[in-house]
Amino acid sequence: MINAIESRPVAILGGGIAGLTAALHLKNHRVPFVLFESSDAVAGLMKSERDDEGYTYDCGVHFLTNRLAAAIGMSKDCQPMARYGETVHLRGRCYSYPLGLLTSPKYLTSALFAKSKSLISSSGATARQYYSSQYGSRLAEEIAIPLTEAWSGADGDEIASAVGQKFSTGLARMMMLRTAAKMTKRVIGIGYASTIVESTNSWHVYPRGGISTVCQRMADLVRGSIKLNSKVEQIRVSNDRVESIVVNGESLPVAGVISTAPVHVLPRMIRGTNALDGLEKFEYRAMIFVNLKLDGPSGLTDVVTWVPERSYPFFRLSDIGMGLPWLVPKGKSQITCDIGCKVGDEHWTMSDDGLTELCLNALEKMIPGIRQRSCGSRVVRVPLAYPIFKVAYEAKRKAWEECSGVNGLLSVGRNGEFAHLLMEDVFWRTRWKVSRFLQNMGL
Amino acid sequence: MGFQFEHVLCNVCGVDDCHPVAVGEDFEYGTSDQEFMAVQCRRCDTVYLNPRPDSDGIRLAYPENYHAFQFDESEFGLVYRVRQRLEARRLLRWCRGLPDGAAILDIGCGDGFHVELLRKFGKPTWEVDGVDSDSRAVSGARKRGIDIHQGSIEELNLKQESYDLILMIMTIEHVCDPLAMLKAVSGLLKPGGRLVIVTDNTGSPDFRIFGNRHWGGYHFPRHLYLFNRRNLSQLCDRAGLKTVSVKSALSPVNWTYSFRNWIQDWKGPSWLKNRLSLSSPLALAIFTAIDLPLSMVGIGAILHGVFVKEKSK
Repeated sequence: MINAIESRPVAILGGGIAGLTAALHLKNHRVPFVLFESSDAVAGLMKSERDDEGYTYDCGVHFLTNRLAAAIGMSKDCQPMARYGETVHLRGRCYSYPLGLLTSPKYLTSALFAKSKSLISSSGATARQYYSSQYGSRLAEEIAIPLTEAWSGADGDEIASAVGQKFSTGLARMMMLRTAAKMTKRVIGIGYASTIVESTNSWHVYPRGGISTVCQRMADLVRGSIKLNSKVEQIRVSNDRVESIVVNGESLPVAGVISTAPVHVLPRMIRGTNALDGLEKFEYRAMIFVNLKLDGPSGLTDVVTWVPERSYPFFRLSDIGMGLPWLVPKGKSQITCDIGCKVGDEHWTMSDDGLTELCLNALEKMIPGIRQRSCGSRVVRVPLAYPIFKVAYEAKRKAWEECSGVNGLLSVGRNGEFAHLLMEDVFWRTRWKVSRFLQNMGL
Repeated sequence: MGFQFEHVLCNVCGVDDCHPVAVGEDFEYGTSDQEFMAVQCRRCDTVYLNPRPDSDGIRLAYPENYHAFQFDESEFGLVYRVRQRLEARRLLRWCRGLPDGAAILDIGCGDGFHVELLRKFGKPTWEVDGVDSDSRAVSGARKRGIDIHQGSIEELNLKQESYDLILMIMTIEHVCDPLAMLKAVSGLLKPGGRLVIVTDNTGSPDFRIFGNRHWGGYHFPRHLYLFNRRNLSQLCDRAGLKTVSVKSALSPVNWTYSFRNWIQDWKGPSWLKNRLSLSSPLALAIFTAIDLPLSMVGIGAILHGVFVKEKSK
């Protein structure tokens, strides 16, 4: 079977973790393939840069477990996270997430009432309904919904309930995992993998050289089959099956296409079928990551601080050095401020200095004196950072998650599936989907 | 020690459609500070190391003091003597019906423990050979006064269709390509000749309890493929060997190692960890008592498989 398609490789679109996982899987099965990356480097959103002072900048927070590190054979290049915890900053006070919130009687009673009610009623179709039914109206309205709205850029009634369903770890299980974390002194990954079951034996690690080393390691194994600066412009379908692609103006017959391209651009790329109509309506949220460099400790209470109040420009703060000390110079700290935005809006078009000022001004209210400790910043803009789960296209999204509807076209990864997947989920889901794809195609 | 890793397919199905079951390290010998991943085939449930160190790396994972290179009475005392008796009885049961002058081969024979038992307790007319690919095993066997072949059976050019019985006792799980080896074994067996495989059982409760990290059967990174009754039969079938029986049997070893690995990994008391070893009669007695009823209901810690090369019709 493979001989028959030797002149027709499988085309992989995109050199992020999903594309590279697919490439490795095809390589192991000796299926010919070419990976096309439109930019001049692999890694996609998993890029990292290191400056002369010794700060490392990744595109937002990534979660890597010892399990994923072992799966790609790089556990030796990773180090266990020093610490991980989340807090919620609300009305000048920090609550540890989630148990600290439950020490507040108003949140606790609201959550208990909602939980008992949810036993007899459904959780609803929108994010607002879902969070209210799961956490109670107090926690939902004051914390979960504002955070989701800031993250998604849409109203809680417009966002589908699926956005919250990945955070499915129950309280009892969470307590068990936290106890194990205390006993083993490891940062056990809780709530950061939904495809692969959490375990007391799966904990957070991080590459010493920043997150991009994961993709570099994978790319090294398939280096000869990667074409950089190669933009796939068209996917041509004939007789209800993918037949060829057009890359940099040239046509190439292919046995199939594995795409990690953003879902909403696929209808513009595909020729010869209307099966992808409607995907162009899917929206992505843009993000700006403002990395503030500081003298001394950051002043935040934990690695991640959620900020649901709208008066702040950011919704999440990450103290990189607290969790990953080797990414920050000694005696310094780094806070990454996540700002959700739209490409072209006032934040997106603001200068880097303006964004730094904006964040420092807001942080001054939380951490007085932070401005005096500031020693520069690095701003990273990501136009397509997170899929927005809108009710308007939720049915189509669910169908898309299952299958592309075009023979010979498989869409994988967070962009490709239009799902909020974490790295380990992307890795395993891609492998399973590619396995099924090869089986269906008789490869 | 840093390894070069290679990605492999399930040896039974020939594809890599798996999910992760465990991440662990070399708890027993500490030959590396690397972590390794065991995955389980979603089609046939075979458990295998993937990615795994390449063949050069795997050799480095067997230290000088590896137990199979030298399992002797001076170090293991009472445990050695008890095991000798039990194993001799077991071996003779598998040899039942063998004719005078029968040829027997023990593949992966280590320091020749079983070869010596067969020569001592079997019929004097039997010809018993041993093969091991590691020179340290060959030296260990010499100390017992036994000469064994060094190399893999694929390379050794042994006479085809010349053996009445081939033994693979705690061997198949160490082999990089079990299917290729079983095909070679099939070539070496006389028509009607038997193959006995003893290996760890992934269908056992100790695997269920400790399987996501500390299970002794993983023996990271030395056990490359691990089986249950069904997929062991499937594999042998692919190699042209018909299943006579695959039964589970009693073994305290994986229980002992699993508890030891767990205590070591969770920084438990070292006095307790040190009592959980293969040279501890107490630990072995306790875990024998645990595994005995399990083996009686068919879910013991190890598998005993008997396969036959069918006579051509």
